[in-house]
Amino acid sequence: MKSNTVAVGLGILGIIFVIAAVLYIVGGILPTFTSSSAAGTHTKHAILCAVLAVASFVAANFARVKTV
Amino acid sequence: MTFGQALFMGLLQGASELFPVSSLGHAVIVPSLLHWNFKQSDPSFVPFLVLLHLGTATALLILYRKEWVVIIRGFFAAAFRGQMRDDNERLAMLLLTGTIPAAVLGVLLETRIKSLFASPYAAAAFLAVNGVLMLGFEQLRRRAERGSTRQEQEEHFARAERISFRAAAIVGACQALAFIPGISRSGVTIGGGLVAGLRHQEAVRFSFLLATPTILGAGVIEVPQLFASGVPVVEYVAAAVLSGLAAYASARFLLRYFRSGRLDPYGWYCIAAGLLSLALLRFGL
Repeated sequence: MKSNTVAVGLGILGIIFVIAAVLYIVGGILPTFTSSSAAGTHTKHAILCAVLAVASFVAANFARVKTV
Repeated sequence: MTFGQALFMGLLQGASELFPVSSLGHAVIVPSLLHWNFKQSDPSFVPFLVLLHLGTATALLILYRKEWVVIIRGFFAAAFRGQMRDDNERLAMLLLTGTIPAAVLGVLLETRIKSLFASPYAAAAFLAVNGVLMLGFEQLRRRAERGSTRQEQEEHFARAERISFRAAAIVGACQALAFIPGISRSGVTIGGGLVAGLRHQEAVRFSFLLATPTILGAGVIEVPQLFASGVPVVEYVAAAVLSGLAAYASARFLLRYFRSGRLDPYGWYCIAAGLLSLALLRFGL
């Protein structure tokens, strides 16, 4: 699906995942969002968010309408 | 766990990880049948599993080392260009598509599912279910086959690079079923690949390529646990090396076997092993 709107949406999603990854690393996300009962660094979740961020940016680049 | 038990578990894990017979199921059932009393839920067991998985992942990386170089190069080229120009770039994106659902489900569900079904009885029952699944995948596949010889039958189906993105995501998500001890990761991904229209050997190749980042990622994330006090690193590393060697030999065998072979023998093995294990566990033999 080629659409600049979709590309922008995926780009924003990517930024959200980057922020979430950083928050997971510095331990700023509340325990509610993790499977463990304590706040703190959650490496697994941080890495997952980083991977999702990369995937979102790649998908955004694919969705972007290219000008030749 | 004694040194001998560690080596045995390494060999068992490495040999069964890539076969469609559930390594986790075997790792739960076999020690119970042998009346070994180490607890797999014990935190000290985690570093052991981590190293065994790293051994398996290393074996897969060595087996597909040239292919991974091309895939990684293809990934960056396609990602920056925003366009896929050849099969290698498409395969790289298919692997990313297949890995994401497995990673999401793994992080969110793995621990809960494993603890829910961690008994040898459940593992044995699910091993039998895994066998039924393997036979079901082959049955579905036979309906789509044309031709009389195995070579003719296989020629109608596609290479891994031609699978659809939706199918890659579904096959990737199926890996989450393998968090249930007894259900095989390679079994469900090979079966999913067959249903999606891949040749047997290509379904195995796609399954192994898909497994590499998943197994490696799961292992690398847990690496800090190896530095916990009291972990017998030398024994565990020896078991991991044995696991890697067994995984390498298994992968070579399976790639050769699936040139013309099918999932059926593994399906029947799982049903028989599952039912026999249930009987042995029930009657305490």
